[in-house]
Amino acid sequence: MTDEPLSQETPQPNAALDLTRRKGSIAPPAPRGSVGRAARAAGPYVTMARIALGLLARSRFARAGASVLGVIAFFAVCADLLARSPTQVSADVLVPPLTAGHLLGTDALGRDLFSRVIHGARTALGLGLAGAMVLVALGVAIGALAGFVGGMVDSIVTRAVEALSAIPTLLLVLVVGATVAHPTAATLIWTIALTRWTELARLVRAEVLLVLGSDYVTAARALGASPSRLLRRHVLPNAVGPAIVAAAFGVASIILAEAAVDFLRVGPPDTMASWGEALGEARGHAGAWWLIVFPGTALLATLLSLNLIGEAARDALDPRLRMESPGSTLKV
Amino acid sequence: MFRHAIRRVLWSIPTLLATSLVLFFVTTLAPGPADPLPRFLNLNPRDVRSLAQRAISHVAAADESQDAGKRELRRLGGAALPYVLPHLEVLAPDARRRVAMALSPLAERMRLPAGADLAEPGAAVLFWTRFWDDRALDFSSVAVSRAVTRLVEHGTDLRENDLIVLDTLALPAVIRAMANTTDPRTLARLTEIASHATERGSPLSAEANAEEARRAVGDWSEWWFVNSTDFGALNGADRVLAVITETRYGRWLKRLASGQLGVSAIDGEPITEKLRARAPITLLLCALAMFVSFALAVPIGAVGAWWRGRAFDVASSAVMFILYATPTFAVAEVLRRLTTTDAFGEARLVFPVCALAAGSLAMLSRWQRTAMLDIARQEFVRTARAKGMPIWRVLVVHALRNALMPMVTVAGLHLPALLGGAIVVEEVFGLRGAGFETMRAIELHDGAWLTAVLVAAAVAVTLGLVASDVACSALDPRVKEVLGTRQERQAL
Repeated sequence: MTDEPLSQETPQPNAALDLTRRKGSIAPPAPRGSVGRAARAAGPYVTMARIALGLLARSRFARAGASVLGVIAFFAVCADLLARSPTQVSADVLVPPLTAGHLLGTDALGRDLFSRVIHGARTALGLGLAGAMVLVALGVAIGALAGFVGGMVDSIVTRAVEALSAIPTLLLVLVVGATVAHPTAATLIWTIALTRWTELARLVRAEVLLVLGSDYVTAARALGASPSRLLRRHVLPNAVGPAIVAAAFGVASIILAEAAVDFLRVGPPDTMASWGEALGEARGHAGAWWLIVFPGTALLATLLSLNLIGEAARDALDPRLRMESPGSTLKV
Repeated sequence: MFRHAIRRVLWSIPTLLATSLVLFFVTTLAPGPADPLPRFLNLNPRDVRSLAQRAISHVAAADESQDAGKRELRRLGGAALPYVLPHLEVLAPDARRRVAMALSPLAERMRLPAGADLAEPGAAVLFWTRFWDDRALDFSSVAVSRAVTRLVEHGTDLRENDLIVLDTLALPAVIRAMANTTDPRTLARLTEIASHATERGSPLSAEANAEEARRAVGDWSEWWFVNSTDFGALNGADRVLAVITETRYGRWLKRLASGQLGVSAIDGEPITEKLRARAPITLLLCALAMFVSFALAVPIGAVGAWWRGRAFDVASSAVMFILYATPTFAVAEVLRRLTTTDAFGEARLVFPVCALAAGSLAMLSRWQRTAMLDIARQEFVRTARAKGMPIWRVLVVHALRNALMPMVTVAGLHLPALLGGAIVVEEVFGLRGAGFETMRAIELHDGAWLTAVLVAAAVAVTLGLVASDVACSALDPRVKEVLGTRQERQAL
């Protein structure tokens, strides 16, 4: 996603006149400190996205989050190889961990908890990624449209953003699950994606307005750049940063909502293993601590690492904090 | 300041309308019984006049829907007579007889002294023509409401018979009178008339207790809300407005605006009553959680930011970060397991409030820390320190006062999360508030309650946002300049 605007750097007839292109040689003196280093490390084109990615790669919190997430993703991808079927029931009901054949014990139906946790990673990451893709696409498209077109479209989008942000997401997800005829996991991610694009759209819109008012866009306009070129070359690359942040938080919030819905036992019927469902089962069995600890740890680790990446990305993109905060403390 | 507040409140009206559109869409996702009304625009709103005319035309033409037409005439009853009887004359003789015969069950219900007249078509026509000549004046709206008033005041069988003759035409006044009286004898007579005219339900007995009476009145006003247009004529402005109001969305909105939220599918309790009983628990829970989380978050965030990078900051940031990622239901579940004894008295709210406050605390303290970081490097803070002021005074009076500003906005913004968390917490702890009831409604498909709760939550959040915006503008004169500043502030 991030390389898309950059890969279009094919030589063009008026390249020499194009003031909007900043080659390394004519770039303004690189700012001091980590930004400059990150920008130089990132390559010849100094763009918002490059700076962000460079900084992101340098943040050890982001790296830590990414490695944990990598392990979880590995489990999700290789779930079938690592564990047996999560729906297979056995006679060993509520067996504690470390017994023969069941590394993490079993639940009340005799299903192996280890395979449920492993397959739960697939459910969580799969749903989260699918939902976040829709959410990011909607948010960037609507936000860019509102900022770029302005006027009527802008006010309608602003109203829609305000209207949607007044509805509690969890309540909405629960009610939609109860009203549609055949609720599935897709219902949940569509509900979240269709109502939670608002924060990203707001950020993208603000970013677009900021860019459209800048001198280099005026210069590009004066040179005869078409609106579509403005959008591609100057507006959308600036939306990459907020999109990365929104994607990380979007995945996290979809995983969280899905877990909450499954925990409350109103989710889609249990053909898929889910951490929330395992946690919900623990409510009825006070002694079965392993039903809380293992799925809970998996859920918490996933959410923590996603938040770490999201926060690191936001710090990399927020110019005020980027200049100020030393890299030694946990950042907000 | 005042102007800004007014403008902000007015701007929330289109927002609420947009929210209502979303919620209307969500709550009508269920494939219910086919609703004949169009969704947003009804170019031919139906009323008693159009229904009666359609029924007459079917009966007069003796086509395949004539049985349905007869049933419809019987259902519409007395309310349709002003539009049926004057029309008899313009019909062909055959058709006139057929319509007159179709009205005979109605004469029976109205207890008219017709006797043998109704068995023979020619006599029936004559009977109805004479009836209308004699009694047309009784069928005016003034006469109807006077008759109902007399019944409420005197309550004799004679007065009751007056209304039986008027049949469904008396319904609007009767249902209105029901809502305004608590006397069981009067209520018994009123419900007797209503169920006689509509052939629906059973009348309330005169010995019914207050609870039964309230149920019955709620049931009748709900029925009237759904069916009222079938028994009244649309005239003038009403007819024009009906293009919008007589649609599914219009009805849905009118239902919410008039507080006529229907009855619960679970126990038949009116939703309004239920909401009044349950919502205070949820609101109290949220208010307490908000208070607790603010009381802790402000000092933690402020101190952490002021001595940035020290042990306290690192530790509190780490804890808050982990708490931020922990789902509310996990916190609630763990806390519930820690409580060994069953909850009792006022203390039963302690753990739910802690569970709910934990999530808010994590979010708020991180916001407070950012806000404080922002202020701490401003020049007036440096000046204050350079003047040699005591450090606590700089911290509290100069920095924190300004750093609290963004928190007012955040207080409004995190309301949706708080309400969502309240559902989970109430469910885990078995607190019988609105969230607990919502879970039961989801299990048993109680659409009326879910609609009511969604709308109530959305309205509460919108009001909260407006309040926090107005408070912001009161505290900070710079906010007044542009409306919609919240978006711009958020964007930064």
